[in-house]
Amino acid sequence: MRALIIVGHGSHLNEDSSLPVYEHAERIRRTGEFDEVVECFWKEEPSMRHALDTVESDEVFVVPAFISEGYFTQQVIPREFGLDGPVTVKGHKTVRYAGPLGTFEGMPDVILERVEDLMRGRETNGRTALVLLGHGTDLNKNSGGVIYLNAARIRERGLYDEVGVGFLDQKPEIGSVVEDADADDVILIPVFIADGWHTRETIPEDLGLTGEVTHLEGKRVFYGAPVGTHPSMANLIVARARETELLPGKETQVV
Amino acid sequence: MSSTIQEDHPGVADAAAAREAFAAWVEAAEEGRVFGQVRVKAVEPGIYSLRHVEDAGNSDLRLHEDPREAREISKTTEGGEYRPLKSSPNLRRGWELRVSGAVDLVVAMNYLYPAGVVHWHAHREGRLEVTSYRENAARQSGIYKRVQRLSDEGVQDTARACCEDAVCLKQTLWDVDEETPLVMDRGEGDIPCPEPCSVFVSLARRVRLFEREKKRDLDAIGLSPSEKEDLAALVEAAATGHVDFAREAEFEKPLNERRMRYRRLTLAPKLRPEAQPVSSA
Ligand code: SF4
Repeated sequence: MRALIIVGHGSHLNEDSSLPVYEHAERIRRTGEFDEVVECFWKEEPSMRHALDTVESDEVFVVPAFISEGYFTQQVIPREFGLDGPVTVKGHKTVRYAGPLGTFEGMPDVILERVEDLMRGRETNGRTALVLLGHGTDLNKNSGGVIYLNAARIRERGLYDEVGVGFLDQKPEIGSVVEDADADDVILIPVFIADGWHTRETIPEDLGLTGEVTHLEGKRVFYGAPVGTHPSMANLIVARARETELLPGKETQVV
Repeated sequence: MSSTIQEDHPGVADAAAAREAFAAWVEAAEEGRVFGQVRVKAVEPGIYSLRHVEDAGNSDLRLHEDPREAREISKTTEGGEYRPLKSSPNLRRGWELRVSGAVDLVVAMNYLYPAGVVHWHAHREGRLEVTSYRENAARQSGIYKRVQRLSDEGVQDTARACCEDAVCLKQTLWDVDEETPLVMDRGEGDIPCPEPCSVFVSLARRVRLFEREKKRDLDAIGLSPSEKEDLAALVEAAATGHVDFAREAEFEKPLNERRMRYRRLTLAPKLRPEAQPVSSA
């Protein structure tokens, strides 16, 4: 039997953070690819510590619903699950640990699907810039790196006159991305896992956005929903799980 | 470590065995079983009815047949507040879940009491792995690393404030460390708690911050800044005739129930030194 465990951050205060994890899990459940699909969290129950206890399968895939490689994916998740590498054998279970979603090659496509949703029935005029918004932090270069990585991958496709980035916690700051864009139309897509305080309040307030379309400084600004809640993220989660099977099984350690 | 997969692994629970044992346990009692605040009953072999214990005789319940709807049921309280801790005694009423087969029964139970069935089973079999506070704290990092410095007394007070049946129905199995048992009412319920949960660790972090102020910032009558902040907030709220409590795990806010339970243990005796210690129920 095969089980997929999706790991989310979760929250003690509201369901914003866990909701996309539950929704993606349900989508994947319906495909029948896994015998069990289980959600677990850092701040909600079941905890990562206990998620493995609840699955019956002996083949277990652990996929972090996180955008970037960093503190959670490299430190917290392996520690809480008791993993010692990409493949860990625990009792009768073989646990395969996948990489985060944001660095995956399929991520730019999901970002572009988000753009498509936002621009359906709308046309751009003149020069158009796409700007990816991320959390970023001074402590962890990867958090910003994943946004740059996706911007570069989309830039290669030559779809926009400009592809930029903006961050909450590092430079270039979100507040200046519209001003800095040399474009008539600016499309903003938050590369966040969930809809929440940042996407609903911080970002719109920093920029003075009033909805999906705002006229600012002579530019039209389009503001999309976060990438992480897009239904296609479920496919990305599955693809991440499948990818772990390509890892050699021999070097596994019995713990 | 040298072990082979043929050996028994005490640390790895057996979810399939737990599922069958739980279904059998439920079927063996005609009146059903109480698990947390849920009454689970076999209405016919292999068909299970779940409802709030207090809805036992209620026929006016909203019927659900998809076990995954248990997640919506357990998500918010009667008053619509988000429930960060599913074992908190604030499960809402008014619903019935009817599911068939042990698999769906456990799916529903896992949304009502995550990992509850498998831990119940492992505990009965004497193979539940229990992790002490100190072992748990040693793993913490980032903003939670400071919980490693919480005193034994702080752990005890946090456990009484956070884990007793008035606020959590799980039976607290863990201790401060191997030599130092928790001195508290651990609870009678069937759902074991094998390790401090994330809500507990978050309160422990807050209590550690309180401990640090006690060392340096006490005023002439021995009150800390946060104690005074809590007292002022209480007085101001009560004076309006209506105390608006903070959310369940919002420990940075003065009017949080578990924070107040901690104050009852640590602040009330300071304010009334001659009085008997207040019962903690
Ligand atoms: S640590 Fe305390 S509050 Fe958390 S689940 Fe266990 S008994 Fe309940």
